[in-house]
Amino acid sequence: MSSPALVRHPEDSMPATAIAEASRAPAATPLATPASFGTIALRWYRLNQGRLRATAIGIASLIAFLLVWHLLTTYRVVFFVRFTNVPSPLAVYASFTTAIHDPKFLMHILLSCRRIFIGFSLAAIVGVPLGLIMGRFKLVHEVIFPVAEVLRPIPAIAWVPMAIMLWPTNEQSIVFITFLGSFFPVLVNTLHGMSLVDPVLVRAAQCLGARERSIFREVYFPASLPHIFTGLTVGMGVAWVSLIAAEMISGQYGIGYFTWEAYSLVQYADIALGMIAIGVLGLGSSLLIRGAGQLVMPWRST
Amino acid sequence: MVRHLPTLSIAMSVTSLALLVTQPASAETVTLGIGTQDTTTNTVTAGVVIRQLRLLEKYLPRDGKYANIKFELEWQNFTSGPPVTNAMMANKLQIGMMGDYPLIVNGFTFESNPESKSRLVGIAAYSLSGSGNGLVVHKDSSYYDLADLKGKLVSVPFGSAAHGMVLKAMQDRGYASDFFQLVSQSPEVGSTNLQEKKIDAHADFVPFAELLPFRGFARKIFDGVETNLPTFHGIVVRTDFADKYPEVVVAYFKALIAANQWLREDPKLAAEKIQQWTGINKEVVYIFLGPGGNMTTDPSIKPVLIDAATADVKVLQNLGRMKEFDPRKWVDDSYVRKAYAEMKLDYDAQLASTRNYEVSGDDAFCKKPIADPRKAGEVWVDDAGIMPFSSASCTLGAYADYKAKGKKINVAYVFDTTRGIKLFADQAFFAVGNGDVAPFLLKKDAEAYAAKISGKVLGFDDAVKAAVGGGKT
Repeated sequence: MSSPALVRHPEDSMPATAIAEASRAPAATPLATPASFGTIALRWYRLNQGRLRATAIGIASLIAFLLVWHLLTTYRVVFFVRFTNVPSPLAVYASFTTAIHDPKFLMHILLSCRRIFIGFSLAAIVGVPLGLIMGRFKLVHEVIFPVAEVLRPIPAIAWVPMAIMLWPTNEQSIVFITFLGSFFPVLVNTLHGMSLVDPVLVRAAQCLGARERSIFREVYFPASLPHIFTGLTVGMGVAWVSLIAAEMISGQYGIGYFTWEAYSLVQYADIALGMIAIGVLGLGSSLLIRGAGQLVMPWRST
Repeated sequence: MVRHLPTLSIAMSVTSLALLVTQPASAETVTLGIGTQDTTTNTVTAGVVIRQLRLLEKYLPRDGKYANIKFELEWQNFTSGPPVTNAMMANKLQIGMMGDYPLIVNGFTFESNPESKSRLVGIAAYSLSGSGNGLVVHKDSSYYDLADLKGKLVSVPFGSAAHGMVLKAMQDRGYASDFFQLVSQSPEVGSTNLQEKKIDAHADFVPFAELLPFRGFARKIFDGVETNLPTFHGIVVRTDFADKYPEVVVAYFKALIAANQWLREDPKLAAEKIQQWTGINKEVVYIFLGPGGNMTTDPSIKPVLIDAATADVKVLQNLGRMKEFDPRKWVDDSYVRKAYAEMKLDYDAQLASTRNYEVSGDDAFCKKPIADPRKAGEVWVDDAGIMPFSSASCTLGAYADYKAKGKKINVAYVFDTTRGIKLFADQAFFAVGNGDVAPFLLKKDAEAYAAKISGKVLGFDDAVKAAVGGGKT
């Protein structure tokens, strides 16, 4: 009985209340407790079968990944790709345990999260409205699109010298680079969402007497929301991708800086630790955005 | 679906290419990867000069077991040592060159490599007094000494030779570890940050402490000579390669010896060529590698350098960056010895000598031969070449004379009166009085000397005027 309780997700609000009700009910009729709990557990299991399966498979595949990594590095496998000097999971775990006792490591993570949060929020605040306006008004699109397309493919690391010169403080330069990383995916996906809005809906709204502002609010915005959220998810990913380039400037803190410094001292286990930390933080922030998406678009959640 | 095809074919061609490159021995072609640092001027004779003059091709063995082997040289350029170590660990490079601290990290990192170790097999260039590394501030700042930087933001590439210099300087002066706000920035990032005044000072290795002042926005306020701890750039090799092809490593050292000879035969031409190959200004190259320069090119592995490396290991251990490592066991001078023997040169004599080549010739302005090369000076006149002069006062006098004749002057060099390091004359402080013109790197040294000769401290332009007037202020 402990395992389903552990696996239960916080967002499973429906079954959770069901169970809460069920546990209140037996208080009145204690005799029925075992039977009713069994059926409820069964019902809960049936409802969440798919999700449980996905979680189980996900955990299994992560364990398999760690195991394969462990075996490849312990036996120093050389099969076209060479694992001779790749650090083992245990070595990375060892440097993780030392890092976790070091208050600096927490500082690295907190500062990076803050930078990503600010950069990403700015990108969303600027990118989404700009995309909506560009999608609606052709002239704005024609003016901005070419510039955006030229700037978009420039990799974050190439921006480092310019970012240093553009902004008065280093913190701003770093946030600027993460902003650039997430801005373009947000913009492009918002534009894409706008271009896919069914013109019939727009005409129908116009026939019903809707003004420009209402059409924006009631038709364009909700219709392009799925794409906006795709853009935000991708943008968040790219913000983390550009973190190492951004934090090369920092010279002191940040998980990207941590990874970079480990490279300059050739400490492979720390490099891997930094990579994994960025991966896990990236996953966490993507989950947050997906959660926000479900809140904003309840009609899409299953 | 359609999109997958080109990706697949690219992947295929890349893998087949990789297969071609990484399969030695079975065919007659052996790839030798050499990791250089072209912009780090004191390694150029071990890297870019050998490459451009095709010296290694000249000395590679061709007889015996090498009759059927064709060596394919793959030169790769990096801006710092750690990426070279990374590529050497991955066996993409077999020979690499870097500064003292990265070298130690290289040797230590290889300890855990089951395929191969690394050995320090020779030296590219060294400075016994620790010159080459330096700390610069923005030229408009009011900092003239390390003490002025208390609590200020100072950046240095962590794990580099310059980092070692900063730590040693702090230790010497008894500064606490938080005396500066010390942060890690690569040369590229630190230079831009200094130019934008976002940091107060930047400490760096060759050539940045000279290059940034030369580019016009920085001033050097601390030179590695003040730490008096030797610094060097050296050459490391993978032992699996060296054991299999020892003659190739020997050939590499013959090429290095030839490159050093080429440099000293015509330092001006060498500086011009090196500028063309690496993008570092010839005037900056010359201050390091020219006569009386701040770096001595010498492949022999001197015990004093290994002692310095042992001291560096302690610094890294104190920082918690390293466990046990003994530099003495990591040195192998057999290849460079063999190269000396085969070229009929005396290795032991070279090992014992710590002499650089010096400024020499006759002073055409004061009309006398150069007696003390470390009191001399040089003026680089654009069309006439580099002219030697017997003293700082003669150098400045000649400078004014060339100016009056309307000649274009690239740069003038003088030597620090007490420390003997070569300086850009226009960056130096001059103690002038009683007919004496004494150049200094540091303002405080110049002030002390001026007090002694009851003269005063002048900048370059005023010192030139004073020199023309016969050393009076």
